[in-house]
Amino acid sequence: MKHLSTVAMIALLAGSVSSAWAQDRGGIMNFARYDGSKLIDPIYADSNPDIWMVLNLFDTLLTMKDGAVVDNLTQSHEMSADGLTLTLTLRDDIKFADGTPMTGADVVFSLDRARNRDLTSWADLIGSIDSVAAEGNVVTVTLKHADPAILAMLATFSTAIVSKAAFDAAPGATDQEKSAAIFASGKPGVGSGPFYLSGFSQGTTMDFTANPNYWRAGADGKPLPYLDGVHFEIIPDDATRVLKLQSGEVDVAELIPFSRVAELKADPNLKMELFPSTRIIYAPINTRETRADGSANPLNDVKLRQALNYATDKDALVALVLQGAGSPMASPLMSSQTPMATDMSPLYGYDIEKAKALAAEAGIQPGTPLTFTTLAGSADDATLFAALQHMWAPIGVNLVVEQVDSATRGAKNKSGEFDIHTYGWTDDVADPAQVVGWLGYNPTANAVGTGWNDATFNGLYEAANAEVDPAKRADAYKQMQEIYAEAAPLLWLYQTPYAVAMSKNVEGYIQLPLGVNKFDEATVKH
Amino acid sequence: MMLTGRFKHALRKPGFAIGLTIVVASIIVALFPFAFAGYDPTAMDYSAINKPPSLAHPFGTDTLGRDVLSRVIWAYRVNIPMAFLATVFALVIGVVVGALVGFHRGIADAIFGRVVDAVITFPFLVLVIAVVAVLGPGLVNMYIAITLVGWVYYARLTRAEVIGQMGNDYASAGRVMGYSNGRIIFRHLLPNAISPVIVYWMTDMALAILLGSSLGYLGLGAQPPQSAWGVLIAEGRNFVTTAWWLSLMPGIAIVLTGLGFSLIGDGLADILRPKG
Amino acid sequence: MARSILTRLLLMIPTFALVMIIIFVLVRLLPGDPALALAGDRASDAELATIREKLGLNDSLLTQFVLFVKATLSGDMGRSILMRAPVSSVIADKLPITIFLAVYSVGLSLLIAGPLAFVAALNRGRWPDSLIRTVFQIGLSMPVFYIGLVLLTFLAAKLRLFPVGGTGTGFVGQLYAMFLPAMSIAFYTAAIILRNLRTAIIEVLDAEYVSFAKVKGLPPRVILGRHVLRNALISTVTLVGLSIGNLMSGTLVTETVFAVPGLGRLMLEAIFARDYPLIQGLTLVFAVLVSVVFLLTDLFQSWLDPRMRQ
Repeated sequence: MKHLSTVAMIALLAGSVSSAWAQDRGGIMNFARYDGSKLIDPIYADSNPDIWMVLNLFDTLLTMKDGAVVDNLTQSHEMSADGLTLTLTLRDDIKFADGTPMTGADVVFSLDRARNRDLTSWADLIGSIDSVAAEGNVVTVTLKHADPAILAMLATFSTAIVSKAAFDAAPGATDQEKSAAIFASGKPGVGSGPFYLSGFSQGTTMDFTANPNYWRAGADGKPLPYLDGVHFEIIPDDATRVLKLQSGEVDVAELIPFSRVAELKADPNLKMELFPSTRIIYAPINTRETRADGSANPLNDVKLRQALNYATDKDALVALVLQGAGSPMASPLMSSQTPMATDMSPLYGYDIEKAKALAAEAGIQPGTPLTFTTLAGSADDATLFAALQHMWAPIGVNLVVEQVDSATRGAKNKSGEFDIHTYGWTDDVADPAQVVGWLGYNPTANAVGTGWNDATFNGLYEAANAEVDPAKRADAYKQMQEIYAEAAPLLWLYQTPYAVAMSKNVEGYIQLPLGVNKFDEATVKH
Repeated sequence: MMLTGRFKHALRKPGFAIGLTIVVASIIVALFPFAFAGYDPTAMDYSAINKPPSLAHPFGTDTLGRDVLSRVIWAYRVNIPMAFLATVFALVIGVVVGALVGFHRGIADAIFGRVVDAVITFPFLVLVIAVVAVLGPGLVNMYIAITLVGWVYYARLTRAEVIGQMGNDYASAGRVMGYSNGRIIFRHLLPNAISPVIVYWMTDMALAILLGSSLGYLGLGAQPPQSAWGVLIAEGRNFVTTAWWLSLMPGIAIVLTGLGFSLIGDGLADILRPKG
Repeated sequence: MARSILTRLLLMIPTFALVMIIIFVLVRLLPGDPALALAGDRASDAELATIREKLGLNDSLLTQFVLFVKATLSGDMGRSILMRAPVSSVIADKLPITIFLAVYSVGLSLLIAGPLAFVAALNRGRWPDSLIRTVFQIGLSMPVFYIGLVLLTFLAAKLRLFPVGGTGTGFVGQLYAMFLPAMSIAFYTAAIILRNLRTAIIEVLDAEYVSFAKVKGLPPRVILGRHVLRNALISTVTLVGLSIGNLMSGTLVTETVFAVPGLGRLMLEAIFARDYPLIQGLTLVFAVLVSVVFLLTDLFQSWLDPRMRQ
């Protein structure tokens, strides 16, 4: 009797525990975005609102986990000893959202279009691929040369797998027309991700519906996602977006202005999350000998550039502009979240005496005018300017501002018609080659428009791109970061997290460091 | 002569007198902001961020610890000239073109009509934004942009009034007596035609300040460290409930100034309205 | 009458041609180009060159202009770079919303300004007049984005009387959801209409009331109705027409604050994205709409006032 009742009690206990913990499922999450997607296709996603949604509708062959590349759609992957052949074996249980199984043919189709220069600007990410072939579920990728980053690239959104059948069946003459048609149709089948696109109204709303055939399982053993769907509303005005959340009309609001973080943290009905990101805020400095108008450019002197960096109190800026939500940059070439980031803190820590000395050595007369080009309408940029103006006055700089719109700032960057301007960057791939190429390797983008061109640095970059040994590669990156820090072609400012506020009813929503909005394990209780 | 009599009569009306007082006071503040502002509008005080109104800071402080009252006062120096400079050139160009076209009619009128239609069918703010984007940021370019677009409204109004006045006694007599066209236009037609234009000008000045504030909201107006009311309001829009003084105080300044111009406009309409 | 309508319509052609030339030139004077706006902050110089090639930006200006004219005349306004969809469908999508908002706000402003203008005019110089005019003066002086934000914060977010932005579904739903943005604009338009209507009513009262009342012995109400109303309407109608025309751009800021996906906001985004086809298409559509509104206003006006008929 006693034995039975103990067993009964244990059974009761086990039963109550497992029923007490029943995974929350169901419901539609309402999400307020600052900008809308235009076309969510792995190879056509050009702007963040598109890029960050790709992995909700599509899956990549591999994925990043705790800093290492692991299998995702594949059950195994193996690189040959010479580094020229990559063999990937797909899982058997992958189905597209309409139930059709994924095969090697889909992978070949997807990778071929992803590396097609005529179609997409992301082709160079997998430019080392020579050919892709498949037999059943085994895919063979042949490379032209050893590529240390290829695995990371196969974990990048642009190489996500689409359904060949969906594209074959879609109307349209070109790949882009077909993709647009598929996007507009709102039917499942082109992707294997946790959701499929079920509704779209340009600039207003967007709807995702859960993929009933999703291959990954949740904590309760049943397929993800937990949600029935996600409903997106586009609200470009920051203040309005926050109001929408506070009134309870949406569950999540992204891109919260940092000036509101403290206020929302104190709100008992909300959760204010600051997700680590790869976002860095910096200011390219024009290093050319003469300005665009022909006058001599004082910023050509590296001492002045270093002086500006020393004269900038980055901790104060983090407090003023970000209200504490962020940190000074530790690596001169990437965020701390990017692989192979060297921690060089303090990167030009605040030292006004050193700044004055360097400025004097550079021959700066008090009242030297410099122009700071900022983004019109950005409260952060305006605060940044006011602070820098004060911080740089003691070293003889008279900082003047011009606020321009984004396209104008981009044009000035390309033409060199600037002294210093604000800029930001978020990684798209989990590999430093993208950001380092952008910031320092001159042939890519003229070292983010600064005109800085260093042969040693360029050589190191090219070598690192072909270096398969991770330790040697990391060392090359370390050297590049040291060279870059010394040359100071940038004013380094800070790294900012993704500020997302949500109601207390939301669990499991995260934004990854690369910016991806991840809904597959999110739940909401209405 | 007759006007000064009417002017004095108008002064007795409370509306006009109040309006005049407000505008004159605004001009004085714009000329001597240092006499009224207690602080340097750019002086930052990191220890006093977003503080509510108090004895030390009657209008509170902003996100950088700057005194809001001083910033609002120094903004007079930007906004009062803005009201004038953004409108007066449009007025002069518009009146001259409108008068000439209204007088001569013919081909000039046909072309003018198309130009006016073309400009008027353009969304005004959009055109200004585009021109500012082309010319670059800053107040001067903003004035140029507004003038380039705004003269059309003055011209249209003047033309209609001049055409209406063509039949008046002075003009007919002038033609009979062989006066030059210029003299007829400027001595006989314009003085009567001009009154609705002047009234419109008063409204336009208030509108120019608002236009400046919309551009400030978009970041395309007055550049820091100049403070303009519109920019101040835009800066405070993330703090409507937490730091309401940031947007409300400059808002009051705009309303007050607009009220002043408007009351003057109404008073002028009364003075200048032809009797009988 | 039909002849003058025809003349007006024919005259619109050179106007539109002028509009198209101005926008074509203006838009290409803007610093930066669509390629930069699209991918400028992450694309290598080589990638930007490819994008420019694909977008036809390397063609000579003349070629671009000829293509532009051809496209417009054939009704196909090209493909929006920003929206990745045909310009005509992007505009057709948002046109109803903007028209709804424009008409809604003018309707509201007439409802408010109309009766109050009469009250003010009839009580000229006394306290109701001053009170009304002062209250409306405040509406005229507040930037729309601030009024909008305040209304949103208190009436929508805090008191939950209205949804926070958006458009709502169904006719009644839209009336409800867009009440606040329409009110923000109406406050402003009503102030302009009120001042004008009030002055017009006063002038008519001054001119006609004294003479006719005594001569004809007509009851005041008839005079008010037949003469005052009709003549006051004439100048107001012009103003209303002008307001609707201006509203297309006036909604720009309101649409942003209230998250209403209309043409005003679209134009702003198109400019920031240097989306040449979309900017050109939108300008043409605006021009046509505004011209139609003006034509209708003039027709209505000449129907009201026989003297204006040429």
